Amino acid sequence: MAPGVGLAPGLTSFLKSLKTSAADPSVEYLISLLKRRQIRNSRPCAIATAALISKVVGEFKGNDAARLLERIRQVGRRLTAAQPREVVVGNIVRRVLGLVREVVEDNVEEKLATGSDTGRSTPTQSQDLPSRPHLNSTISQMSPLRHAAIEPIETSAYASDMSDSTDLTKRPPLLTSHTSYAPSSAAPLVNSLFGLFSQPADSSTASTPTGPNSPDGRSTTHSLNLDRLVDLSRSQQYFDLKGEVMSGIMELQEELEQSDKQIADLAHEHIHANEIILTHTASTTVQKFLTKAAKNRKFTVVHAETYPHDNEATHEVLLTGRKQDAAGKTHDDDDKWKCLTELGIPVYVIPDSHVFAIMSRVNKVILATHTVLANGGLVAAGGAHLIAQAAKSHQTPVVVLSGVYKLSPVYPFDLDELIEYGNVGAVVPYEDGEFVDKVDVEHPLYDYVPADLVDLYITNLGGHAPSFLYRIVADHYRPEDTVL
Amino acid sequence: MPPKGKKGQSNDKKGGEDDRDQPLQAVILADPFETRFSPFTLERPRCLLPLANTPLIEYTFEFLANAGVEEIFVYCGAHKDQVEEYIKRSKWTSARSSPFSRLELIQSTSHSIGDAMRDLDSRGLLVGDFLLVYGDVVSNVPLESALAAHRARRAKDKNAIMTMVLREAGTTHRTKAQGTSPIFVINPTKDRCLHFEQMPNKEQTHRLSLDPDLLKENQELEIRQDLIDCGIDICTPDVLALWSDNFDFQAPRKGFLHSVLKDYELNGKTIHTHIVSDYYAARVRNLNAYDSVSKDIVSRWAYPLCPDSNLVQGQSYRLGKGNIYKEDGVILARDCVLNSKTVIGRATSIGDGSVISNSIIGRYCHIGKGVKIDGAYIWDYASIGDGCVINKSVIANEAYIGKRCTVEAGALVSYGVNISEGTTIRGGSRITKIKRRPEDGQEPLQGEPDPAVVGKGGVGFEYQDSEEEDEDEVVDSLIPIGPVYNLAHLSLSSESISTLNSDSEADYFDQGRDRSAAGSFLSVGSEDSGHAHNFDQDASASIYDSLVEGHESANIQLELTALRMSTNASDHQVRRSVVSAFVKRIVQLINSGTSIREAIAQVFVQHKDLVDRSIFDKNAASKSDQIDFMLLLQADLAHRDHGESILLTAATKLVELETIEDTGVLQWWEDAKSTDNEELRKVRGKTQQLIDFLNQSSGEESSEEEDDDDEDDSE
Repeated sequence: MAPGVGLAPGLTSFLKSLKTSAADPSVEYLISLLKRRQIRNSRPCAIATAALISKVVGEFKGNDAARLLERIRQVGRRLTAAQPREVVVGNIVRRVLGLVREVVEDNVEEKLATGSDTGRSTPTQSQDLPSRPHLNSTISQMSPLRHAAIEPIETSAYASDMSDSTDLTKRPPLLTSHTSYAPSSAAPLVNSLFGLFSQPADSSTASTPTGPNSPDGRSTTHSLNLDRLVDLSRSQQYFDLKGEVMSGIMELQEELEQSDKQIADLAHEHIHANEIILTHTASTTVQKFLTKAAKNRKFTVVHAETYPHDNEATHEVLLTGRKQDAAGKTHDDDDKWKCLTELGIPVYVIPDSHVFAIMSRVNKVILATHTVLANGGLVAAGGAHLIAQAAKSHQTPVVVLSGVYKLSPVYPFDLDELIEYGNVGAVVPYEDGEFVDKVDVEHPLYDYVPADLVDLYITNLGGHAPSFLYRIVADHYRPEDTVL
Repeated sequence: MPPKGKKGQSNDKKGGEDDRDQPLQAVILADPFETRFSPFTLERPRCLLPLANTPLIEYTFEFLANAGVEEIFVYCGAHKDQVEEYIKRSKWTSARSSPFSRLELIQSTSHSIGDAMRDLDSRGLLVGDFLLVYGDVVSNVPLESALAAHRARRAKDKNAIMTMVLREAGTTHRTKAQGTSPIFVINPTKDRCLHFEQMPNKEQTHRLSLDPDLLKENQELEIRQDLIDCGIDICTPDVLALWSDNFDFQAPRKGFLHSVLKDYELNGKTIHTHIVSDYYAARVRNLNAYDSVSKDIVSRWAYPLCPDSNLVQGQSYRLGKGNIYKEDGVILARDCVLNSKTVIGRATSIGDGSVISNSIIGRYCHIGKGVKIDGAYIWDYASIGDGCVINKSVIANEAYIGKRCTVEAGALVSYGVNISEGTTIRGGSRITKIKRRPEDGQEPLQGEPDPAVVGKGGVGFEYQDSEEEDEDEVVDSLIPIGPVYNLAHLSLSSESISTLNSDSEADYFDQGRDRSAAGSFLSVGSEDSGHAHNFDQDASASIYDSLVEGHESANIQLELTALRMSTNASDHQVRRSVVSAFVKRIVQLINSGTSIREAIAQVFVQHKDLVDRSIFDKNAASKSDQIDFMLLLQADLAHRDHGESILLTAATKLVELETIEDTGVLQWWEDAKSTDNEELRKVRGKTQQLIDFLNQSSGEESSEEEDDDDEDDSE
């Protein structure tokens, strides 16, 4: 086909258009692609999202961390609303949000360290100094920062100051929070709560007593807030927020590219000679994993074809060793990539219905996944639950391969939300008029596999028990970002 | 690109475009120039009617965006302002989000697709291959392969002008056209369409006439009836040129496709097919299709075009178990029951004990307690009172249905209709409060409420088709065969169903005759149907104009023939238009002071040919054409001033001219239809003289046959 003309939109065309168009149209474009399922599955979604966010950050003007966070958050909200079932999109957005926070915090730490040295501090700031180490340690647990990362530190100090004047430890924060609805930011509410925690530490440093008279207290706090903001913006000039976030996103993109390879590197520890491995669906991760193992071990693969939604892709992978729709960009090493049979590994394709029958002979089940949830359960291509159940009843170990980027901080409170129902026409031919008219067909694309059916997760960080996933989630995502 | 400054821009652009890749262009025919969705289309354009709570045109845009189209021209007829406003507010025109670099509305005054295409040709907007689709296509077919195949063929052969995208479906299928089925004769090796015919399902005629040459030239032939024609055509600009060359083409399939294929010898153009067997493609061409496509969408046959894709900004549908889609903010009473395949829009509330199944309910609807709804389509802001029972029917925006009403299957309740308490709406009734489509800038004409239909205090009345224009190729009845929307068994059916072009010619004849016996020409024209209407209007107007201007009758004849061919009108219609034009002219002459005899002589003598050419049974025993002519004349004159004298003089003149034979007149006199009612009997009263004379002369005739002619002449 002639290039450029009538090119069906997809990941490739999106990445191409990203080079020329601005961030806002690109956001809309990605939303429409997601809605039309022209970009689907975890990896393409992750790549597209990361590219888009880096574009958004790149076009961001100014150095205001809070505004940047809000901007990314807003883009993220729209993307996830467009296709809530591609959890990976949300994951990437959350990762970037966490990244921004981290960059800010690192620099705040530096700044606070240097701030006192430069003698730039105002009288109020000097009050902070005694309590500073403590504040810095709590900052990471703080909830959403609306204005700027370090603003709360000082206001909170203030709030605590206020509360100290009278010995009502709880009420003053409430008052401040109440009055501070008037200024448009919700930050003071957070700060006052924060002050609650920090109170014991600096209760002795009360120096600017304000009465319980809230309007006065509010006005002082507010004006001082403004002071802080000025301070803050001045202070932020000391580091390159955008640059650091951008390089962080680069790292993230690199991680996306590397994760398959890193997972494959672990293959030798998990696949042993003469084992019979059962897997399903078309997954690049699993194929690379098996290929890697096949380089020096002989084993047998039994492949469930996951009819009806993924059987064609599965056959494609088995015959050529790669997925047709995967973007070329992600497979730099494609050329030296061969399918398993060429490496001398016998592969048997079975229909999903035969899984239970063959399970007694299988030594290990390897599952690809769509998303891994924080409770250790996973969402994988339809048929995965069946396989996992069969494995359970035969006590066959189930290993799940997943990049960390698929690991989501979301808990599966509503399973219907996570499972997508696909084109019924794949199950029953649409030509069959009578059938179409009289029978309701459901075609779930994904299965939810509960955590207790999985024995081991292998991510690019190594192997983990399902019960340990919460820890990896905590390492990668900020709790304040869980709800976008 | 922001909403459009029209002409200047198109000129600017073109210069640059030739150099780079040609953008893929598309034309959306937003108005298919028919009234199959009346009474809804009286107030809203068809492409904005909600299908599964999303305006139809959204699906079309979505399809085109999927296909990678860059420039779109939307062709609007009626309700252009509404379409324009909708598109302006939609995401498709905002520079930020639109995948199209250009989206332009074209207003046309055309009355058929043919006119629209010719108009499009004259505008010269389309530079390369383009997609021609209707504003009601629902499809997820990716077009790359079709486009590629089209281009490949085109590169090889300049004459491959068009590729139609067709979807395979079995012998019976709910989404297929019901009333008539399109028959494609295809050469499978070249994917070339060789012949096309519209086959009426009803009549059990399963005959198809093929050019024997087709069989000679092609080794393989497929005759297929199992295809859904979803109206997606990939065209080259030559197609437009062809439309322009043949000014009588009206409908893209029945007219254009059929004729181009038939005239292959003449123009050498070939038309190809691209048949898809997976993916979804359908057109919401009538209410029956509306029903089945809605079902397809809800049951996810058209995935990813389903409610929970939230195609339109601001939608927030979520899928629950059993294909139940709910938007945010739906208020459900604790013990109401939602059965499967149901869609419910935002802020709709459903009361205690209501049971809803297989239904699509819009936003901000209010559904009372103990309501039973099955298979209904209820659009935004509708309100349904406690204890109603609603079966398969459509209830439009802001309609209000009082307590304890029953809406039977097949009823259509249009915008803002108010049904008062305890009324039963018959299946198949169409209730509206607007009389006819408002002209530009006019307030819509509200009709008088009819308490028999909507109950005491209600608003609305039974809609009657005031005009029917069916130019399109696939002529399904408004009401399909089967239980859904079945109007066929109703009393008014003979009028409304006559929208079928597929009705046999005999049907036409009889209906026309009945009607013409019953009333004036105008009512005949308006009650009669389909293209007949157009033809009558056009033909009689043009004949009349020619008569006034005194054109030669040969020229009038030529014009009439052309018109007759293009609309495929029956002889009966030709006669009717001739009669009505003649009478009009005669009356006009008489009114301007000419005597009756002179006026008639002037018209009939001068244009004897015209009448002669519409009567073909000179030598047959039964003079049905002549009878028909006389009946038409009689009916038309029945309510004119001096009708009796005109009839007598005209009949005499006709006999004199030998246009109508004696026996023809006598047979007419004896025909039951000529004495159907008081008016008719009255108008023919004076003609008794002529009959008496003729009877006498035919009596003589038997004795002295030679004198026969002289006798007639003297009279």
